[in-house]
Amino acid sequence: MIFALLSQKGWAQVNISGKPGLMNIPTARILSDGTFQIGYHYNPSHYDPRANDPNAGVSNNFIQSSSSVYYATLAILPRLEVTINIFHVNGDLPLRARGIGDRQFDVKYAVLTEREHRPSVAIIASAPFGIDNSLVTYAAVTTKNFTLSETFTAEVSAGFGSPYYFDRSDNGGNNFDIFSNYKLHNKNERPHPYLSGPFGGIAFRYKQKLGGMIEWDSQQLNLGAYAKLFDRWTMQAGVINFDQITFGTSYAVSLRKLPKRLRQKSDLEK
Amino acid sequence: MHVCEDTDLGGDNRENCLGGTSAGANKLRVFSKQVHIVTINRSAFAFSWIFICWSVQVGFCQQQDQRALLNYENLTIDSAAQRVYYEQRLYRNPMIGLLELSQALAKPTTTEFVPLYQGVPIASYRLGDAWQTNLLSRNERKAIGRLIPAGPGHYKVDFRLHPDMVANFGYKTDPFQAKISLLLQTQLYLTRGLVLNLGVLFPITNNYDTQPMNIRPAPIYLNQFLALSGQDFLSGSVGFFYSNQYGVNLQYRRANLTKPWSFGLEASLTGDYYYPTKGIYYESMNRAMLLADVAYRISKRDITLKVSGGQYLYEDRGMRIDFIRQLYSVEVGVFAMKTTKGSTAGFNFAVPIPPGRIAQSKRARLRTTEEYRWEYSYNGGGNNVGIRYRVGNQLDALLRQYHSDYLRQQQP
Repeated sequence: MIFALLSQKGWAQVNISGKPGLMNIPTARILSDGTFQIGYHYNPSHYDPRANDPNAGVSNNFIQSSSSVYYATLAILPRLEVTINIFHVNGDLPLRARGIGDRQFDVKYAVLTEREHRPSVAIIASAPFGIDNSLVTYAAVTTKNFTLSETFTAEVSAGFGSPYYFDRSDNGGNNFDIFSNYKLHNKNERPHPYLSGPFGGIAFRYKQKLGGMIEWDSQQLNLGAYAKLFDRWTMQAGVINFDQITFGTSYAVSLRKLPKRLRQKSDLEK
Repeated sequence: MHVCEDTDLGGDNRENCLGGTSAGANKLRVFSKQVHIVTINRSAFAFSWIFICWSVQVGFCQQQDQRALLNYENLTIDSAAQRVYYEQRLYRNPMIGLLELSQALAKPTTTEFVPLYQGVPIASYRLGDAWQTNLLSRNERKAIGRLIPAGPGHYKVDFRLHPDMVANFGYKTDPFQAKISLLLQTQLYLTRGLVLNLGVLFPITNNYDTQPMNIRPAPIYLNQFLALSGQDFLSGSVGFFYSNQYGVNLQYRRANLTKPWSFGLEASLTGDYYYPTKGIYYESMNRAMLLADVAYRISKRDITLKVSGGQYLYEDRGMRIDFIRQLYSVEVGVFAMKTTKGSTAGFNFAVPIPPGRIAQSKRARLRTTEEYRWEYSYNGGGNNVGIRYRVGNQLDALLRQYHSDYLRQQQP
């Protein structure tokens, strides 16, 4: 029963940076091997996670903007997820800050998978090649599911995000070697640092199809809800800090599948 | 079909079709058990009802199987040797071809299937629980060569729609620079292993470079594929390749399709070319590329770890490490490389473009490409770190698709 639930919940909510999670926080839940997921997430303007001065010397009057995050995640191994996301600032930008958005590459590894009496534990790290990775994540998180009734479950997560991270922000015009010029930063110098400090949250699920969630994303308290359609399509929305709306949607497929007509063993092979 | 289910005798549709006469016999046995509880008249009625239903079902399935067989080319069934030789260009994943053909032919499990690539047999596979992969020796290949025809008469006129995209995301005034085209390609099978690839390119958009938006030839090149023994493969290409390079490309690979290790060599001499609004512009063929690689396959997860190095285009020398995961029809990889020009990392993938087959007859076919490949490198645009061009035929990518463990692990 537990294992049936575990395998079912592979595809559900996705957080802002494209990983299984609630709204802003990631959880230790990991996608089943070969699952591919793409999606979109909208982040409101009052909670712009960019650095005050994203590209050194670009602009002195930093205007907070809403942003669009596009992501693709693949469970490339049974315990390993890779995510690429594009953080695109909505609206007009000063010329030197323009682009399709900053690309961020993350890996998430499940150190422990969930068992009946054991929570799952995962670590997440962003590749340090970035120049301005707003959603840069260095975090450890643990998650445990509790069965409340036959149809209701609760997923409880807690974790810690490191305020320190590396990037190559000095490297704007000199981009030839991605393995050099790393610089240590502190997220807390940003007005709205993403995932810096302790975080946690609970998702209540009805039949793994509908759910509500509450999370502390290390900076503010957020409430949200999600629905899953046709087992593949998730839609979610929430309120950040009882102030502004966030929403997102994602679509997941398993790549480890043969066409339906070939999936059954034929008579002769039985 | 639903009529059969009403009589409680139908069962699973596919099992019935595949079982052929034995499924029919089963049904008659089940039927005879029921006869004694009904009157003669009713049983006669039911009997004819079931018979009609069964024959419609078998007929329907046979028709379906016949249609499935249309997906295959150069199909030879050697009943004496219990071998089926075939070529399929529709599916990126050879296992789909293997399973579909074995369903359609409904041959005994001892049958060996020998997929051909450009008319050259790759290896022989026996499906089922007693999965077996046999490499084909040089002598066996000679014998097969006498048995299996090659050349244009045995292949469809196959038209393939293939999208192509080159993009650069970094440029500030124009952050999304892309050159997107649609290629209509075909392949002419000339002799065994020798194929002429050609096509027409329709530009869709281009703010990437200054190339005019004229309809122009797609890459045109001759490729000769050769299997020297069970595990030595050669591929030579001459012509106009992708990425505006023309010239000669030679590849050798030693790959035992049942073992984890493989290695390869690639050498080429190319020059720039492109099509202005009229005619063709080309520079001299003086750009050398020489690469060697060693690859190890972790079978349990269909992972290939590959270390390659040598001289890339523009006399850029360096090393590259690839991690490649094969996931049924899709291949996804991440890589990192360091050369004299700089270092970079990124990811790549190869996917079939849906819907696949659009229309086909015995002689002709229109379909979307079975393989679209794309690579993203973190700082590739403009910096030319370890740049290479693309040939349609890349031996390492081709041969890992036919690795015994990769196919066996996909069996339902």
